[in-house]
Amino acid sequence: MRRTMPPNFPIPLHAPNRYSPPMTTPDPLTLNSWQVIAALDELPPGLVERTILLDTPLAMTRDRDGLPVVWRRTDEETGDEIDPETIFDRLPVTTGYGFVWTSLGTPPTDLFPIPEYAEPDRVNMSCGSIGIHVSAPRAVENFLDMGHFPYVHTDILGAEPHTEVKEYDVEVSEERDEVLATRCRFFQPRAALSATDGMEVEYVYRVPHPYCSVLYKSSPEAPERRDVIAIFLQPVSEERCRAHLLQSMIDSTSTITELRRFQQTIFGQDKPILENQYPKRLPLDPRSETPIRADKSAIAYRRWLSQKGVNYGVIPVAS
Amino acid sequence: MITLYDFELSGNCYKLRLLMSILRLRYDVIPVDFFPGRQHKSDWFLKLNPFGQLPVLKDDDLVLSDSGAILAYLAKKYDETGLWFPDDPAITAEILRWHAIADDITATASAARLALGFDYDFDVPKAQAGAHRIFRLMDEHLWFGEREGRDWLCRPAHPTTADIACFPYVMLSEEGGIGRQDYPALRRWCDRVRRIPGFTIMSGIFPAGRALEQA
Amino acid sequence: MTLSLTDSTWYPIASSDDLPFRHVYQGQLLGRELAVWRADDGNVNVWENRCLHRGVRLSIGINEGGELKCQYHGWRYANRSAGCTYIPAHPADAPARRIQNRTYPVREAFGLIWSAANDDQPFQPFPGAETGEWFPLRPIPVNAAPEDVLAGLVTLAPDDQPADILPGLAVRLGAAHYFVQPVDSNRAVIRGLLQGQPEDAVTTLRSYNETLTKLRDRLERAARKKPAPEPLQPSFEQVSVDLATMPDIAIPRGNTITVVVKRKWASADGIIGFELAPREGHLPTFQPGAHIDVHLPNGLIRQYSITNGPGELLSYIIGVKAESAGKGGSKILVESVREGDLLSISEPRNNFPLRRDAVRTVLIAAGIGITPLLSMARFLDKSSLPYELHYFTRLGEHIAFRPELEALHGKVQFHTGLARPEIAQTISQTLGEWSHAQHVYVCGPSALLESVRVTAATQGWPEESIHFEYFKNDKVIDDSSSFEVELARSAMTLQVPAGKTILEVMREAGLQVPSSCEQGACGTCLTGVIEGECDHQDVYLNDTEKRANTAILTCVSRAKSARLVLDI
Ligand SMILES: N[C@@H](CCC(=O)N[C@@H](CS)C(=O)NCC(=O)O)C(=O)O
Ligand code: FES
Ligand SMILES: [Fe+2]
Repeated sequence: MRRTMPPNFPIPLHAPNRYSPPMTTPDPLTLNSWQVIAALDELPPGLVERTILLDTPLAMTRDRDGLPVVWRRTDEETGDEIDPETIFDRLPVTTGYGFVWTSLGTPPTDLFPIPEYAEPDRVNMSCGSIGIHVSAPRAVENFLDMGHFPYVHTDILGAEPHTEVKEYDVEVSEERDEVLATRCRFFQPRAALSATDGMEVEYVYRVPHPYCSVLYKSSPEAPERRDVIAIFLQPVSEERCRAHLLQSMIDSTSTITELRRFQQTIFGQDKPILENQYPKRLPLDPRSETPIRADKSAIAYRRWLSQKGVNYGVIPVAS
Repeated sequence: MITLYDFELSGNCYKLRLLMSILRLRYDVIPVDFFPGRQHKSDWFLKLNPFGQLPVLKDDDLVLSDSGAILAYLAKKYDETGLWFPDDPAITAEILRWHAIADDITATASAARLALGFDYDFDVPKAQAGAHRIFRLMDEHLWFGEREGRDWLCRPAHPTTADIACFPYVMLSEEGGIGRQDYPALRRWCDRVRRIPGFTIMSGIFPAGRALEQA
Repeated sequence: MTLSLTDSTWYPIASSDDLPFRHVYQGQLLGRELAVWRADDGNVNVWENRCLHRGVRLSIGINEGGELKCQYHGWRYANRSAGCTYIPAHPADAPARRIQNRTYPVREAFGLIWSAANDDQPFQPFPGAETGEWFPLRPIPVNAAPEDVLAGLVTLAPDDQPADILPGLAVRLGAAHYFVQPVDSNRAVIRGLLQGQPEDAVTTLRSYNETLTKLRDRLERAARKKPAPEPLQPSFEQVSVDLATMPDIAIPRGNTITVVVKRKWASADGIIGFELAPREGHLPTFQPGAHIDVHLPNGLIRQYSITNGPGELLSYIIGVKAESAGKGGSKILVESVREGDLLSISEPRNNFPLRRDAVRTVLIAAGIGITPLLSMARFLDKSSLPYELHYFTRLGEHIAFRPELEALHGKVQFHTGLARPEIAQTISQTLGEWSHAQHVYVCGPSALLESVRVTAATQGWPEESIHFEYFKNDKVIDDSSSFEVELARSAMTLQVPAGKTILEVMREAGLQVPSSCEQGACGTCLTGVIEGECDHQDVYLNDTEKRANTAILTCVSRAKSARLVLDI
């Protein structure tokens, strides 16, 4: 394959990715799953928004009832006015947790459950959809990782000297087909916006979808309940994704702006790490990287992806 | 009392947080939901800055916008050492020249970052190429600076607001797909800025390791 | 010419000036990204720009002087060897496995840093290099194919003075030598050297810079008109099988290393320092607190702590007590081993790991016990972590490694000539009440150990915060059990009766099994366990390793189960 530089382009792009961009046909599971593409309340009714999912350009809008309409994009541009009634070749669509989900295949009836989202006293919000130059599975793995808190989220989610990742449990839940890590504990200087003091925080992590993860952590305001933070990754290409962040909090004092700011601060710290990770696709061969006990959940996640035959955004084990 | 209308992930807002941290100024923050909320285009914000841009800084009743202008204001008003924005006309001109380059960096490196990370509809290759052009010139300027005993962008033997104004979007350039591998002198200058006493981080910028105490 | 990933030519990849104090330079050669950094001892490291843990670029990490710290999870890698010395997620464990980043050959010469994609060729300076002093120009990165860049440089030659093409993408044009660093198939850096120091350095540099910048613009304009070649696609090497899983213990391979006694000196009255250097290259990575086995000329094996600081791998320095009445061990080192002699040593092993996650670290030593603590202090010192070191000796002349201790920046206190009660009081005051993340490390005679343990315990220090190392096994061995051992590889089943050790029974059956201390302290007889439950009675394995039940010291430990299957 030969690439030419676009015309009137004074300096060729420095290509930090040392691999030619792979183009994999997504495996059936990926094709037939629901994939997130936008925050519902950011989608303007009657106007076109564009995005890319699994290397496929999509266009979307909302109809008069506020329901999203998604189709394969041809020449529509962002901001074009459109009458949704004129769109016939629609992709499947569902809404869940404040986001729009679609599928390039035949998706299941339901999205994975996050029952807490429906609790009436929770503050639910999207925190923005942020593009990252890394595969979706790398971002999931980062979300599951506690060992980086002191180094990447210094003085917020962790701080030296509290660097230890204590033993925790990981299982692949049979009935729900998801990776589940429990009894995860970490000492945090400022676990949430509402936290005033350092505390040992207990986490539960779920990976209910190859590109989505949900975490539960003790809420500083109501210690017997748990804040829920989820990351839904839109696989744009094998090496790029968009992170859609959801917070479902027990917090009666902070504003949405403040809560968003907290979450964006955290995610903004992970971004340069993720974008400096190589290879950008997640290697599933155990011999490509060096795990330690603290990485148990990542090991289970990689194995689970292998078993499910996920091939998009990963480097499968050579057979 | 100083109040900063602020967005955490904005490099232009960070310029002010950085200088205020170095000058040890106390200030309040009013978070503005720039993304995804687009509050900088909301009516209440346009009353503060009709151009609809962050940052805005209020000092008592005075409302200011534009990060470069505010850096100059803060330094002139609060920097007792007079080093960050010296009075000398030639140096003032030199600093303002770099403030203008800082805006060019915003228009290129930051635009590429907004396009790739925050879904802005900008011409990414053009923005990236523009940033590389600036970084090449900065690298050359800084490389010869090192030969001539100048560690900073401007002539004085200490950093000025010019360094603060140019630093954030250089440091965040990789988020816009602009690597800095070809700019070793620029990378060294980034280490020096990160070692200024009172330096503070923002999301996306890690602190440098210690270097001075044990040298 | 097309570039090859396996090209073994040495190319310049940076200028010496690109590597100031505590900086990490980002480079690239033949498509492979490099993290290049100078340690405080001046050594230049050229590593693959990727942490073995989770693949993060090391060029965004931190140069700590003797170690490079990864930005993602804080793993630290040693100067020279690139061996991992510390994993903060498990602060109490010494990294058991040999985790080592990929390194590339490096040479600093003529103001440039040179490297190669592999070790196939020895470094060879360009023709005429040794004849003079060299002055490096400002390097110019060019977005064009390296061979086109070379061709472009040739066109700079004046008509009457044709260019002199040198091996390895280099050319001489009059007074200037130019080297083209092949960054990738479509990227290069022009690195120039002038012979001798020019009179007006900056003017000269600017003038060459201008010429080369114009050439670059020309080359890039031409490159844009051509289809861009495919970038080189190096692959990352796989890690070894034992790194891919998570074993709790690594069975030492029993490799020995031959070292030269480079220096032998009286470090203090009664303490002899030995500097042990490899015959070439550097020694293996060690962690603070680690020791080596020294194989003595009379066949005995003795353990000595390494005193070195981070990334000091050109030699190990140990201290040996000259016991006048000593039995054959240290005595032979002190009396008959001379500078220039060869010795065999083992790879370092760490039973005394240093946590680097403490808010306060107290190091307490007496006599020769200073050796592991000196190493610990040096590691903490380099990372600017807080620590205090208390060193008890009877006389000032007994203070070993005094200049080395005085060079530290932390709180180092010599306590000389104190009587027992005063020592106890000093220890008590020093320790104070325990609070979270405080740790004490003690090494010295058993009386000191005991005193620190008891005092610490009464002052609220939990067991996990008190660290010491055994060189002797003082425990009473319970050898009352009897059981069966199956030797899997030797296809033998033996009966171990009460009163006999596994080791003895194996030897009686005619097996050759190495051993040394035969009291469960040195680890020489360590054997893999395939099945059965161990009854560990040694002081060599740490608790995690004991719990793992994957290895046993056959000289003292036994079986709790009726049968034990050993990998021997
Ligand atoms: N020259 C201005 C540029 C400020 C700027 O670009 N601000 C961004 C946020 S970092 C913004 O508000 N952009 C919105 C817009 O330009 O509409 C400064 O330095 O303050
Ligand atoms: S990736 Fe380097 S320490 Fe984890
Ligand atoms: Fe994170």
